[in-house]
Amino acid sequence: MIAAFTTQHAQTRLILLASLLFAITGCWSATGEAPDPKDAAGNDGTAEEKVGRFPMRSEGPKTLDPVLGSTVYDNRCCSQIIDTLLQYKYLKRPYELEPQLLTELPVEIETPDDLRKTAFELAEAARANQLAEWEAAKKLAAENGDPPPPEPPEVPDPNPITWKFTLRDDIYFHDADCFPEGKGRKMVASDVFFSWRRMADSTIGSKCWWLMRDSIVGFDEYRDDQLKKIEGKPDAHFDYTADVAGFRIIDDQVFTVTLKKPAARFMWVLAMFQTGVIPHEALEAYGSRFGIRPVGSGPYTLSEGDWQFGLQMILRRNPNYREEYFPEEHMPEDEEVFDLEKAKGKRLPFLDTIYISFFEQDQPMWLHYRALDFDYAQVPDENMPQVFSKRFVDGKKSLVLKPNWRDQGVRYEPVPLLDFIFIGFNMDDKLLGGLGDKATKIRQAISSALDWDERNETFYYGLNVVYDGVIPPLLEGHPENGESDASFRGPNLERARKLLAEAGFPNGEGLPIIDYFVSQGRNNREQSEMLSRQLSAIGIRIRPNLVDFPTLMQTVDDRKAPFFSFAWGSDYPDGENNLALFYGPNESPGSNHFNYKRDEYDRLYEKIVGMPPSPERTEIYIRMQDMLLHDAPYAGSMARTRHYVIHDRMKYFKPVETFANWFKYVDVER
Amino acid sequence: MSNNFFTRVAGTIPWTYIVRRTLYCIPVYLGILMLLMLILRVRDPVPAFMGKNASPEEIELKRQEVGLDRPFLIQYASFVGKLSIFNFGEESWQQKGRSVGEIVGGGIGPTLALTVPALTLTTLISVSISLIAAWFRGRMVDRSLVFLAVLGMSISFLVYIIVGQYWLGFAIRSGDFAPFAISGYETIQQAGLWPYLTSKWPYYCLLPVMISVIVSMGYDTRFYRAVMVEESQRDYITTARAKGADERRIMFVHLLKNAMIPVITRVSISIPFLITGSFLLEMYFRIPGVGRALITAVNQADFPVVQTIGAVFAAAYLVTNLLTDVLYAMVDPRVRLT
Repeated sequence: MIAAFTTQHAQTRLILLASLLFAITGCWSATGEAPDPKDAAGNDGTAEEKVGRFPMRSEGPKTLDPVLGSTVYDNRCCSQIIDTLLQYKYLKRPYELEPQLLTELPVEIETPDDLRKTAFELAEAARANQLAEWEAAKKLAAENGDPPPPEPPEVPDPNPITWKFTLRDDIYFHDADCFPEGKGRKMVASDVFFSWRRMADSTIGSKCWWLMRDSIVGFDEYRDDQLKKIEGKPDAHFDYTADVAGFRIIDDQVFTVTLKKPAARFMWVLAMFQTGVIPHEALEAYGSRFGIRPVGSGPYTLSEGDWQFGLQMILRRNPNYREEYFPEEHMPEDEEVFDLEKAKGKRLPFLDTIYISFFEQDQPMWLHYRALDFDYAQVPDENMPQVFSKRFVDGKKSLVLKPNWRDQGVRYEPVPLLDFIFIGFNMDDKLLGGLGDKATKIRQAISSALDWDERNETFYYGLNVVYDGVIPPLLEGHPENGESDASFRGPNLERARKLLAEAGFPNGEGLPIIDYFVSQGRNNREQSEMLSRQLSAIGIRIRPNLVDFPTLMQTVDDRKAPFFSFAWGSDYPDGENNLALFYGPNESPGSNHFNYKRDEYDRLYEKIVGMPPSPERTEIYIRMQDMLLHDAPYAGSMARTRHYVIHDRMKYFKPVETFANWFKYVDVER
Repeated sequence: MSNNFFTRVAGTIPWTYIVRRTLYCIPVYLGILMLLMLILRVRDPVPAFMGKNASPEEIELKRQEVGLDRPFLIQYASFVGKLSIFNFGEESWQQKGRSVGEIVGGGIGPTLALTVPALTLTTLISVSISLIAAWFRGRMVDRSLVFLAVLGMSISFLVYIIVGQYWLGFAIRSGDFAPFAISGYETIQQAGLWPYLTSKWPYYCLLPVMISVIVSMGYDTRFYRAVMVEESQRDYITTARAKGADERRIMFVHLLKNAMIPVITRVSISIPFLITGSFLLEMYFRIPGVGRALITAVNQADFPVVQTIGAVFAAAYLVTNLLTDVLYAMVDPRVRLT
């Protein structure tokens, strides 16, 4: 063959080919000269530097601008950089709030008379507006020969409540070139209101207005005014300094917020990353690039170029971080896991640099973890049998680390999620909807026929939590042992058949095929098959419609899905968040996708939203939940569990999925 | 000598044909763009992007902000206008602060780092193997090579990725010995040119390139072998033999030159895909290329990114087609372009 390459051209080609192969492979040494696999950026810390390496099972956040973010991944990255007024107590369960940027928790004060008056005037004006719109709609309907629209529900009188906030005086924003001489300035009260006004600005794509809507005196009016002012003016923007009646600045550190009515959830909202406080200078300097070059007051900073999209993010310790120390409050079981004495009095954060690596696929993430590249990982479903043995402890199935993993110094922590996985009914549907006896019995029959334990066993290794009701485990109102006497959860085929017969469809005879809507992806097709089989046992036939998620949402919002599968992750750890899913005024396209309407339930809901946590409130939660269990606007429920494995070099890590600013509490000793 | 070479090459280039074909391509491209834009608008992309908590007013505002409330023809003209001046400055919907150009441009380097070596190696190896197979046509060597080619292409791409990543990325590691990364990537800007070529590229890219070569080799080898076998039965080969030409010369000069058209066709079909990359490889090996950017954009309803990558891909396809035809004429004087 070589003879063929004897011409001059052939020799040139040979040399070129050899050069190419040399360039590709020749210079590469496969004996350890390859870069440290632990650091894809080639930017490892010095020996003294403390480095954390954490994986994230996603392509990463989309933005670090708090008002534009919405996913848990946005939250997890943003929360290290931008602080909120309140935070969760790291080691305390059940979850409790504590001040973060404040000197103390907000204090309730008497609402000033002028503000009270304003609240009433604004409420009257809003009501008048609403009625005028209704009249106009009525007139239009009459002209078109359509039925008149329903009268808007009565709005209760405002019951303003004012909270006083005091900012710590040692909070400084990160050093950044948006500030004079690049030195981060002190945070003041106006920064809080500046940041919150951005939540109202839909022109920048804010995704979190729902957190503030209909809660603060004058805030909805501010938004409407701004929208009117910019209408038809493409270059006009919201004025983030314009007046909001309920926002008052007393001095640089002290401010008050007046709510239209008491709302317990407002405090939870103040710990959500979307309400994080940012400096106006950064917005002015970076514009929409703020989302990739954020400035806050958090324990870590993100420099330009330290975020490689889809690959990794490098967070570096904020040298100006306020004095904050490892918390002393903890649960008794924490003492068994952590050397809390060692952490006591230590200043936060522990780590100098944190590498967050993003993974869309589980296999590489898991292999990196096994190669000790990461300090912890969530165990992917397909690797569960490799890591755990199943055991029955106190009659409950639980997981135990296999000996070879324990020997490597790996620790296991299960983290139940605040999940409500259910199959919902459209209460507006002619066959399945309404609170009439017949439809209720069909829904109860369906609930009784479904075997959630089989679903859990088949698709989730039996490790999810199956429970009655709508309030997930760990929250007030969750039934004891997850079981309630009022529940129709199956499998109880005898009861299901009886209920179906009482509804007038013995053995499902005469019952039309029910359209079932579920999103494509994962194993939903197989789950639909199981659902079909379970219901066919009592003679109910369903037609599964597997659609993409936006189509599912649209179909449900349009009330065209009689039977559908969804999941809800609690926005904050309070059962009220889940009970709101059945509040009448939240009907589709709101979060009440079931279009469940029951006056008694709605009245109780309106009562609990203003109540602080108390046994009395929990009692009402249970009453409301019992109504839902009886009326069965859904069948369920189930909550997922995440399974964390942690190398012993990672200290003080108590895995949590409810809040995200825990990076500052963990240490890594290599 | 080089002057002569370039003059000779320039003399073979059909300039008139290129100009004429380029002009033909313009309406075709405009048609493709219109189709692409229509398809992407069949279902309103804004609600999917805005998510479950968006009110109808917010959805309408977003529609106005991104210009989707304007008549279709205006949107079309605006998009074509931007493309014609290579303006890719439109902001991504999902990655606020990053332009579409930044996302696509940032992905091209990592994608080419995978696809160019993979295509080059695949072609070189496949053509060589197919020549050997044709040389030993019908004998054990030929049959074994065909068997291996079929076997190679019968196994899913994902299996190669998962097995390759496990064994060569993970299991082979021992102490400091880690020849291949499990996943990850460093750019030339981060590493520097020489370190990139000598250590970073092999560490991060060689394994995915090897997997890509193995997978593609089966398909290419079978195809090229068929071409070589067909060519080896032509009259000119018999004539060359009759004239007493050396078998090696027949194989590597006469046959190979005449088999170049199908080779060029196959290679040129692959060229547009050099830009779009392999999203599977990019996702598993976390290489931030264009393929991954496209899939992410589709998953996240990032409309401007999807639209722009679609337009760029269409342009690449048309240009490649044109270049292929030109190359035909250059390598085979029998091809006359009209």
